[in-house]
Amino acid sequence: MNCEIARQMTETNDPALAQHQLSCPSCIVGAHARYYEAPPALEQKIRASLWREAAPAVPWRWIAIAASILLAVSAAWNLTLLRSRVAPRQLLAETVLSAHLRSLSGTHLLDVPSTDQHTVKPWFAGKLDFSPPVKEVDGFPLLGGRIEYFEGHSAAALVYGRRAHIINLFVWPSAATPESSQTRNGYQMRTWSANGMTFWAVSDLNQTELADFVSLYRRN
Amino acid sequence: MGAISLVRAPMAMDSARKLALFEQSVMPHLNAAYNLARWLTRSGPDAEDLVQEASLRAFRAFETFQGEDARAWLLAIVRNTCFTFLKKRGDRPAIEFDEQAHGVADESPDAESVLLNQAALGSLNNCLEALPLEYREAIVLRELEELSYKEISEIARVPIGTVMSRLARARKRLQQCLEGALR
Repeated sequence: MNCEIARQMTETNDPALAQHQLSCPSCIVGAHARYYEAPPALEQKIRASLWREAAPAVPWRWIAIAASILLAVSAAWNLTLLRSRVAPRQLLAETVLSAHLRSLSGTHLLDVPSTDQHTVKPWFAGKLDFSPPVKEVDGFPLLGGRIEYFEGHSAAALVYGRRAHIINLFVWPSAATPESSQTRNGYQMRTWSANGMTFWAVSDLNQTELADFVSLYRRN
Repeated sequence: MGAISLVRAPMAMDSARKLALFEQSVMPHLNAAYNLARWLTRSGPDAEDLVQEASLRAFRAFETFQGEDARAWLLAIVRNTCFTFLKKRGDRPAIEFDEQAHGVADESPDAESVLLNQAALGSLNNCLEALPLEYREAIVLRELEELSYKEISEIARVPIGTVMSRLARARKRLQQCLEGALR
């Protein structure tokens, strides 16, 4: 009797099986020994560590140099924009993008590196006067968070990953602002507001994936 | 303004491609990796840590992966990670006598008419856990992962003959253990 037959007999609970099973421990193991499945959190943890592993392949030094040039240019541009009285919203987008680039060019991406929303959320508790909605987003592992200061207020930056890409999600309390999306210097940006907070998602991901991220985040 | 994307894109693409490829070929075998580590270490938390470590090692060595069977490749790394860990922790070598020198007696077991019930299944897992490490390894790879003798011999780094004798001994021990437990 082969193992397949033995397996089928087990399912039909055939007593004649006992004889065979004891004479064929392999069949028992194959059919009945416990198969331990990986806990779901493990997969997430591994993805996050792979991402961290892949990230240093990015030439930080060059990015730092490029980013400082960009900062200088953007500062100059900001001044020009100021002079030409560009809409404040565009200035805000510029500020948000700068914050995103700063986080990538230095070593200060994460104040609290953790893939666990229950670690990240309480971390903010003592440091901000509002509670940013820290959520897990399917397919975009949470990497951690940090605090940003701009425009005279503090903001939470939640950091998510997608393959080798980083998403900064900036959150701060404010009056409701209209939803919009834009591409700025090759970076995708989307903003919306909910529950008295303004959200800005920034990434070098493509437009579709960032839109996916935003809709998944908002749905959760 | 486009400087950043120009500098960054090629590198990001490379790591992104590597991640995507790894995701596609190796990640589907996470359950097999965890199952093996869990049986080898007999501990859930240890297995989690070791699978994470092994996955990272696999990712670092991914360039050397020739596109053969990704599951066997990953399991070999998991196995080595576990053995290194167990050795460091001071677990004794599991097999206490020379396998080559002692043939396995080919007596057909006289199975008693014992029904395999719930209790028996519990003892089955216990009996499997009680096997010496190398026997447990062989039987888990063979019966739960259904790998070939050749694949097992490559993963465990022993000749095929050793795999076969380990399996035979493992089965015999399992049987004795089960009979003992069910009597």
